[in-house]
Amino acid sequence: MSETSTAAPPATRRPALKSHRFGFLLNLTLLALLVVLWLALSVSTDSFATFGNFENLLRQDSMWSIMAVGQTFVIITAGIDLSVGAVVGLTSTIIAMMLAGGVPIWAAIIVTLIIGVVLGAINAFGIVNLRLPPFIMTLATMTALRSFGLLITDGQTIGGLPLNFILFSSHRTLGIPNLFIIVILIAIPCYFLLHRSRWGRYLFAVGSNPEAARLSGVSVNRTIYLAYIVSALLASVVGVLVASRIGIGVATTGQGWELQSIASSVIGGASLFGAVGSVIGPLLGAMLLTTINNGANLLNVNPFWQGIITGLLIIVIVYFDQLRRRKTR
Amino acid sequence: MDNLAPDTPILELRQVDKRFLGTHALKQVDLAFRQGEIHAIVGENGAGKSTLIKILTGAHIRTAGTILFQGKEVALASPLEAISLGINAVHQEVVLCTHLTVAANIFLGDERTNGGLLRDRAMVAEAQRLLDDLGFDLPAGAVLGDLAIGQQQLVATARAAARGVKFLIFDEPTAYLTRQDTDKLFRLIRRLNAEGVTIVYISHRMEEIFQLADRVSVLRDGQKVATHVVAETNERELIRDMVARTIEEVHYKEHIPAGDMLLEVTGLSGPGFRDVSLTVRRGEVVGLYGLVGAGRSEFVQCLFGRTKRIAGEVKLKGETVAIRHESDAIERGIALVPESRRDQGLCLNMGVGFNLNLPVFGRISPMGLVDTRAEKRDAAKQIGDLRIVAASASVPAATLSGGNQQKIVVGKWLNHGAELFIFDEPTVGVDVGTKVEIYKVFAALLKAGAGIILISSYLPEVYDLSDRLHVFSRGTIVASHEAKAAHPETILSEAIGV
Repeated sequence: MSETSTAAPPATRRPALKSHRFGFLLNLTLLALLVVLWLALSVSTDSFATFGNFENLLRQDSMWSIMAVGQTFVIITAGIDLSVGAVVGLTSTIIAMMLAGGVPIWAAIIVTLIIGVVLGAINAFGIVNLRLPPFIMTLATMTALRSFGLLITDGQTIGGLPLNFILFSSHRTLGIPNLFIIVILIAIPCYFLLHRSRWGRYLFAVGSNPEAARLSGVSVNRTIYLAYIVSALLASVVGVLVASRIGIGVATTGQGWELQSIASSVIGGASLFGAVGSVIGPLLGAMLLTTINNGANLLNVNPFWQGIITGLLIIVIVYFDQLRRRKTR
Repeated sequence: MDNLAPDTPILELRQVDKRFLGTHALKQVDLAFRQGEIHAIVGENGAGKSTLIKILTGAHIRTAGTILFQGKEVALASPLEAISLGINAVHQEVVLCTHLTVAANIFLGDERTNGGLLRDRAMVAEAQRLLDDLGFDLPAGAVLGDLAIGQQQLVATARAAARGVKFLIFDEPTAYLTRQDTDKLFRLIRRLNAEGVTIVYISHRMEEIFQLADRVSVLRDGQKVATHVVAETNERELIRDMVARTIEEVHYKEHIPAGDMLLEVTGLSGPGFRDVSLTVRRGEVVGLYGLVGAGRSEFVQCLFGRTKRIAGEVKLKGETVAIRHESDAIERGIALVPESRRDQGLCLNMGVGFNLNLPVFGRISPMGLVDTRAEKRDAAKQIGDLRIVAASASVPAATLSGGNQQKIVVGKWLNHGAELFIFDEPTVGVDVGTKVEIYKVFAALLKAGAGIILISSYLPEVYDLSDRLHVFSRGTIVASHEAKAAHPETILSEAIGV
């Protein structure tokens, strides 16, 4: 047996996730689409292919990228997190209040991230322990957290943030905008967590068949907690970054970003039915949406078109995804 | 229709055949239902009764054969066609909308309207008249979901009666009914029958058949083996027809000497079963036989830690254990291979290798990171050892045949190193060749020192494979037999509770 079993594996050089082959093709397509868009915009506008604009593009992209990666973790478990936009708003307000109140930057960041973890745990508590559908639970926290931010600031803008904190987002390291460096620093551990760790495998198992996962000794509850905590933690990172970028605390920041993050995730190949998704996918998806956004601004397209383009893109990509599913069945 | 002779069949099946992927569910069935009779159908689980109902109601289309309705050939290709012919069925599980009212359910798809608007009050009144007329004490305006299951069953029957039905099929209608509701149902059946409706009545309960039916047909392994006039037969004869063996059936079994004691259960009680005691040694197959709902699955669910133990003791390898959660059972080397592979056993859209490794990711992930080399090696070993036919370890489990899927479920537990295997209906829906493969897997497990608890509703299988056979009925063990010590007919009688 040992002879044949050592001979067998060559057929299975890829990791044992079937989504990889299609995912790889989709990622290539997205990348190609991006390149085409970039080339087209470089030709049709004077301002796109400038250093300043490209930097700006990367900065815009960082926010949505980080949120989209977190959202993907949740979507892989066949859930959805509508609260991420509100978490961004609330955490950016809270860190602004702390900094304005003289709390050291490092302490303010740590506290904000802890708040993110707690907010994710609250979502998971509602879904796991109270058995609420993810859509409902995160809709409720989205509504409540947004109002909570307005309540504690009384709807006012928080100013007076330390200059060092504000400058972080406009500086660059080794020529790369700091914000985008954060994306890379987050994407790498997320990649290992999702694609190389046992917990990542459990996320896929729970999204594919929670019953089979439970019967195999997987703690489904803990896995769901993990997904929502990662999502809210990454949203609170974005909260910190966005406070630095705009230099003030505004409770309404991040409105509608939950939909951007879901769109990025889905465009990047995640399936709302669960068990399909990657880390690179939402990064490309977010970059595509940012480029469309940026390009539309430069081309002086009525900004209301952007939503329409995003909507059509989602329909096209999910349609092809369904088509593939029907074939494999 | 009045000019038809009383013996003329209203519905006749000629050489009807039905194949699903890998299984031959009905084999050249000839069956004639006479105008105005009550015709009972009996058979073991898996004998083809449900398939027969589905073909008669247009839910499945036959693979071959002809169906004549009132002497004319019909396609019977959709539920709508069946209903328009006057063929209707009342299912064991109520298939109605529990959020709507009784009246709305009775008129669903056939609403009374006025210029496009629903005439709710008129429908409730009409439904109430119908229910009163049938002698059911049910409020037409009540929400269906608020009624007991038995009452819902009566509503389903009333619904069929309201449709001008000519041919009505009952699929184990009394499974959830109380004594009184059963009487009401029987009165209704007789009354519909007196009005000229032909009734097909499917049940496990022998006394009901002798109370109600004119004729009875027996199905076994997808074939019709006999049709008797009820007045001229008896329970003994029917049971003999149900279990009589076909010769070509192969149940692969090697003799493996029993080893140390693996599991001792004493007086275990839990939800849906009570006072169960049994033992399993290494190298032994312990069979649990009984009809669906007899408490076998409830027992193993509890043993596996999925439901709470009420009383009793479980010893594993001589040591008293408290299994409170699935993970306790898994950790102690108990593996449950569930009845429904697709719903409970596999992550279907994930890869074969992924499924094989699911219980052991904890072990092959030092510091949390999966050792992909170990992952591939383990998967390749199980694929090789069990001869799982798959293009590669990364193709989704959904693309494999039923037998190969079953092997994945076994393989993941072998990979994990389980010692006590609980198989819940392991060969449902797999073809004969795969069955033999699965039996060979049993033999391999036993040789390796494992013990097996085998739950099966298919008597020949548990009968042949078990070293000891426990018969479940109404939530407890009613009889235990050493290998082949009792006649199959006796075992079936014990399970039915005759």
